[in-house]
Parts: sequence; C-alpha cells; structure tokens
Amino acid sequence: MSKLKMNGVSKAYGATLALRRGDLEIAAGEVHVLMGSNGSGKSTLCKIIAGSVRPDGGEILIDGRTATITGPQSARAQGIGIFYQELSLAGHRSVEENICLAMLPVRAGMFIDRAALKARAARYIDLFAGVSGDGFAAETLVGNLRADQRQLVEIMKALASEAPILIFDEPTSALDRAQVDRFFDILRGLKSDGRGIIFISHRMDEITAIGDRVTIIRDGETIKTLNLNETDPGAVIRLMVGGAGDMPASRSSAPAVASFSTGAAMTVDKLSGAGFRNVSFEVAKGEILGLGGLHGQGQSAVLRAIFGAGAITSGGIRIGGDHFDAKSPRDAIRRGCAYVSGDRGRDGVIAGRPIIENVTPIHYLRDRLMIAHPSSLREKAMPALAAMHTKFASLLHPINSLSGGNQQKVIIARWLIDRPDVLLLDDPTKGIDLSAKADLFALIRQLAADGLGILLYSSEDAELLGNANRILVFNGGSVTRELIGEDRTRYNLYQAAYEAA
Amino acid sequence: MTPTTTETLRSRAGGLKLWLERYPFLPALIIVVALLALNGAFSPNSLSYRSLTGLLSTYMALIMLAIAQTYVVSAGDIDLSAGATLSLVNVAIVVLMEKWGGGAGAVVGAMLSGILLGLICGVINGIVVATLRLQAIVATFATSIFFTGIALYVMPVAGTPAPALFWRTYGGRLLGLPFVFYVLAALALLLFLLSRTRLVTQLLAVGDDQQAAYQTGLPVVLVRVKGYALCGLFSALAAFCLTGDTASGDPLVGGKMTLYSVAAVVLGGSALAGGWTTVVGSLLGALTIGLVNSLVFFMGTPSEWQNFVQGLAILLVLMAGVLAGRRARA
Repeated sequence: MSKLKMNGVSKAYGATLALRRGDLEIAAGEVHVLMGSNGSGKSTLCKIIAGSVRPDGGEILIDGRTATITGPQSARAQGIGIFYQELSLAGHRSVEENICLAMLPVRAGMFIDRAALKARAARYIDLFAGVSGDGFAAETLVGNLRADQRQLVEIMKALASEAPILIFDEPTSALDRAQVDRFFDILRGLKSDGRGIIFISHRMDEITAIGDRVTIIRDGETIKTLNLNETDPGAVIRLMVGGAGDMPASRSSAPAVASFSTGAAMTVDKLSGAGFRNVSFEVAKGEILGLGGLHGQGQSAVLRAIFGAGAITSGGIRIGGDHFDAKSPRDAIRRGCAYVSGDRGRDGVIAGRPIIENVTPIHYLRDRLMIAHPSSLREKAMPALAAMHTKFASLLHPINSLSGGNQQKVIIARWLIDRPDVLLLDDPTKGIDLSAKADLFALIRQLAADGLGILLYSSEDAELLGNANRILVFNGGSVTRELIGEDRTRYNLYQAAYEAA
Repeated sequence: MTPTTTETLRSRAGGLKLWLERYPFLPALIIVVALLALNGAFSPNSLSYRSLTGLLSTYMALIMLAIAQTYVVSAGDIDLSAGATLSLVNVAIVVLMEKWGGGAGAVVGAMLSGILLGLICGVINGIVVATLRLQAIVATFATSIFFTGIALYVMPVAGTPAPALFWRTYGGRLLGLPFVFYVLAALALLLFLLSRTRLVTQLLAVGDDQQAAYQTGLPVVLVRVKGYALCGLFSALAAFCLTGDTASGDPLVGGKMTLYSVAAVVLGGSALAGGWTTVVGSLLGALTIGLVNSLVFFMGTPSEWQNFVQGLAILLVLMAGVLAGRRARA
C-alpha cells in the first residue's frame, strides 16, 4: 500500500494555473524524486501536501485513507514533515529552538522544558556533527549562521517532525559535498525505517545517487513516473523538455540583429560580488544576450550589481569605451543604463500614483527636471506608451487600475523617453499574459535593432531560446557554458543547467 | 603580529555582539545609569532613597504599559489602545470600589474585575487584528477611541477619588519597605516566569517571520490573540499602579501614555518590527523617560520650554542607543 497518493490535484492563482494536474504515489521506504523546470509546479505540489497551500481540486490519500489537510498544523498531525525551499526559520531564535519550534516540549502545560528541548535538538544536531562547520552550536542564533548552516537547521527541523512522510524541496542547494554525503546517509537510514520521502534537487548526480523513482512534472502536470535504475539522465531531461527538445531554436524566431561590427555596448570583466563570481562577457550593440540556467544561480544578482543595486567586490564594467561603476541605481540611470525587474511591486511600480507619474520618473532624473508642464510631459509619454501598445483609459488613472501586463508595459515605457545604451531585463515577463509578452519581445527586438545592448534573464527557457542571440548558462554563481547558434537548443540548455556544479 | 591583533579585535567585537545578543537591554541600562548621574549632578537630592522611591511609584504605570506593549511588539504587532485600556480599567475599578463600599473586599473584587476587563480589551484587539486581519496600527487606534468612549460613559468627568485603603497601601510601606518595591519584585518574578513560557517563544517566532511560523505549524492567529491578551493584562496592572499613584479616576489619563509606551519599548532595545524584544529593556526604557522628565525639571528649564527639551532629550537618548547597538552589531 502506498504511504501517500495524490489524484488530480490542482491549484490556480488567479488566471495562472500553478498545478494543472498532480498525480503522485509515494511508497513506504522509497526516495521519490520530483523533476521539472522552473515554475513547473514542484513546489506548489509539495506545499499542497504540507498544507501551506490549499488545493482547488483533487484528492489526497494517506495510507489509503482520504485525508483532508486544512493547514500546516493539520498536515503535521497527519504525519507530514517538510523542508521548505525558502526555509521556515526564525532568525532571532537559536538553532535548538528552531529545530523544536513546531512542538516545543512543555512542563505544567505552559513552561518550556529546556532540558527536554536541548536533548531533543541535540539528537538532530549530532546527526551532522563534524560537517556543520565553524560557529554552529545549539545556542547560536539562526540569523548568525551561514547559508549552508541555515539549510542544515531546516533539514534538522524537518527530521525532528519524525513524520512518516518527509518532503525535501531542494534541501542541498547550498550544502557542500561532505554535508550532502552525510544527509544522504541519513536519508538511507530513513528509507530503511520505511518512511516515504519526496526529494527535489536540480543536480542530476544527486538524484541518481539517492533516488529510487522519479516523477517528471512539466507545465504543471505530472507527466510520467520512472524507475531511476532503468533510465538514464538523457531520457529524464528529454521528458522534462517535452517533444521539441532536440530541435534547435527555430530560425524564424532568431532576432533581427543589426551588424555587430558597431562594437561592444557593454563589457564585463571578471566581475565578482554577492551571489556571483568571475563573470565575464561582452554585449555588442544590437545584440540580445541571454542569461539562462536554473532560478537563482546569480543571474539577477549580476544584473542588479551592474545597475548599482548590489555589491561588487572585484572586476570591471565598461559601457561603450567608458569605465562604468555605478554606485547607486540613480548613478547608473544617469549614465545610460536601464533595468527592468520582473518584481514590479518591489522594483517598478509607484503604487497608487497616476500612469503619467509612473512613465516619467526616469525622464525627471536624466533631464534633471525640476518643474514640468503636464502637456509637454504628455507629449513625451504618449509615444513611449504607444510603442508598447499599452491599453489605458487616461494618463491620470492610477497604475493599479491596469493589468499586470499593462503595468509592466508602463514600467518599460519609462525607459523609452530617453534611450539608454544598455538595457538589463531581469525576468521581465514574470506573471504577465501571453499577448503582453509578445508585444514586449517585439519591442525588445526593435530596441536591439536600434543598436541597444540588451541583457535578458528569463526563467522561461522558451523566451531565451526565441529571442537571445547567445545564451550564457549560469550555475552556482558563475557562467558554466555559452550556447551559440545551432547549440541553442532546449536540450543543451537543460543539460548545462542541471549539471553538477 | 598584525593578523593576531586583528584576530583579537574581531573576537572582542564578537564578544560585545554576543553580550548584546544575550542582554539586549545593556545600552538602555547604561543610559539609565548616565541619566541617574546627570540627575545627581544637577540636584544631589534627586538621588535620595525617598525621591527614587517616588520616581518608581510615579513611573510604575508606564513601566507596566511598556511591558504590555512589548508582548504585542514581539509578534510584530502594535497596540495603540493600551493607554485607553488603562484609562478604562482605571475608571472602572474606581467606580466599582466606590460602589462596593471601599473596604478590602471591594478593592480585591474591583481589581479582579479590572484584570478581567483588561483581558477582554486585549482579546477584542487580538480578534480585530489577527482574526479579522485588519492593520494593527489603525485597528487598535479605532479600538482605543471605542475604549475611551466606554471609559467616558463609566465616568464622564475626572476626579472621583479612589478609596484611601487602595492608595495608602500603594504609596505606603510594608514591613519597613516601600510597597512599590514589592510591586517591582512581583513584576520581576512574573516576567521571569513569562520568559519561560512557550507562548513568549511562539510570539517571538511569529514576529520573526509570520509566514515561516505558519508554515512551521504554529497557530499564528491564536498566538497573536494571546499576545494582545497579555498586553491587556499588563495594561490593567498599569492601571492599578496609576490609580495607586493618582488616587483617582480619569477617563482620559492613559491617552498620551500609549506612545510613551511605544517609545519606551524602542528605547529599551527591542525591534519594533518584532522577533527581538526585551521586557527588561522596556522597563529601563520607561525609567529613561521618567529620568529625562525629572532631569528637565531639575535643570531648571523654564516651564514653556520643558516639552521642547524633553523631546530633544528623548531623541538624543534614542540616537545614542541606536548608534551603540549598531556599532556593536557591525
């Protein structure tokens, strides 16, 4: 009998289907790997099991009986423990408190039993003795730990649930070799106890080392379950990619490029900083350079650092022939660098203000504008908005009245009034609809044809393959591979992204 | 030689950081000591046993209210109705004690009712903020008006006196020691016990990262409601101290104490964002405000300038505390 079974579980956020159809069966004593590209629905599936996301439909069976999971507390009570990819730790609490936080041992119904808490936490801390690194102690505050140590605490916390069903959503992304080996030893022990384990990782070598079966998720749908010892990595990647995997990016979608002979728009030389190291590349005028790879491998960090919003520890940047070292985004904008983030709410939209105010801030900054006349601003704003096919009732309507796609168009339009030399796009199409995406990429190609150097990071591989002239694949903070011309295929992109770092 | 020097420097800085992590109220303690010294410099008499006892019994209400505020701040919330709760409990117990005859039984009965009333106010705030998910600042501002309205209904004008038994006990002595010392000792014991409870750890975990706490499986809504209940309880205790000090009921007395309580929490070294708080610090923060006020008085500031100097002094103290904390943590 299976420990956990999901039938046709689905979840939508507004109009976006995060999970179309999830079918999954976990047997006792197996490590079941989930594989799929960015945004394919793995994390949503896990969170549904763990109760922190409520499904819209489908059923979940635990030990053969239909289970109703109303929240994380109820999931725990029904024997489900989880490692959250984004971690669920309290930074100002100690390691031992975090490990036991879900079930704090108490005396007299209200006072924490410190001795019991220490003893319980020590059991899990000892599992990683010797590999947990300097400064790791039961009393250390989690906020003072390194990223890998925090990840270990989250692992210990998941293990401390002692749940028969354990979910690990990318538990190894920051761990070093020795820590991973120790963790896998523990997992093997849990397997022989008969626990059911769901495991997500993007490293192919880890998956073959620890997994028994693999289920592939593509576009929110569980495609197929395979026995790992009867299959090879190539086959798994082909399933993740879908039928079109071996075809090169279609020629018709290759960008209309001006001649590269006009020289480099931006040169980046051995750039290192928080989240990336030793990154070098050159973007020609009129070129769209794609940054690919799994989410969070340093692509955004590089773009933000160039724009002056992140720290650079060494290396140099040149725009045109000039040395470029923006100390702040304000500085970067003045010197002809543009940045569009997919996280509109945080980095783009001036919430609650009229559209015209959202189109013109860059113009204010670059022209050192102090007093502006609305009609002259309108003349500048209208063509920029028209170039994007932006739909809006009037310039004075608040930006929040627009759809996500139209908001993003307004954000991009603000860079079109005074043309920058380099455009940095940081996953610009996150959460916007298909027609808006099409408009956006048509414009980006037009801008490239006009001679801008464009850096495009996208979490959707199709966008990279369809628009970028070259693709740099990021893995673990540095560029591990460059895909040019015929090599720009989905298969190559996935393979480079999933290689062991 | 150089590497070893930097090494020791680093470990010394790390040591200071560790100390601050264990005792986050240290900067506040230093400031209190400095203010005491300044008070003594301007008026040696202000450091006498008698005036210090007086200071403590006057500011005990603010200390209690600052501690009340600390528990909601721990969970990342705020309570702008703490002062109004204090007012409501103040007028309610004065009216009840008068109605029930002013004897020992009446005093005890009124105090129990006062505690219950404080808890009810806290739970109402908790339901409004945590269950109905309204913005804490605005929602508790609204309930503060609501509580003040009830207080004004209970006692339309200030001035009803509290029974002599009540304020004589508070301002008097027991076994040769001023009664407020017993209050302080009882408070210390209560705070010590509370610091050991599961609830306080849960409040801090919720304040650290509410989403993470929810995903961990903590009953976030219930924990926040309990935090507000605790705040209501301490607001009631604050009302007792205030009634003992002023010996009368006043439906508007607590209004301006609310923001003083928030200020005391911050002066004490707690993070207003939640997850990192210290009740001892809040106690010291409230004392800081008291000492600043008495310092302004002893310096002989002309009365029309007292508010100005008071505000300036609190700003300076706040800056000193923040800078010290930042340097030690860097």
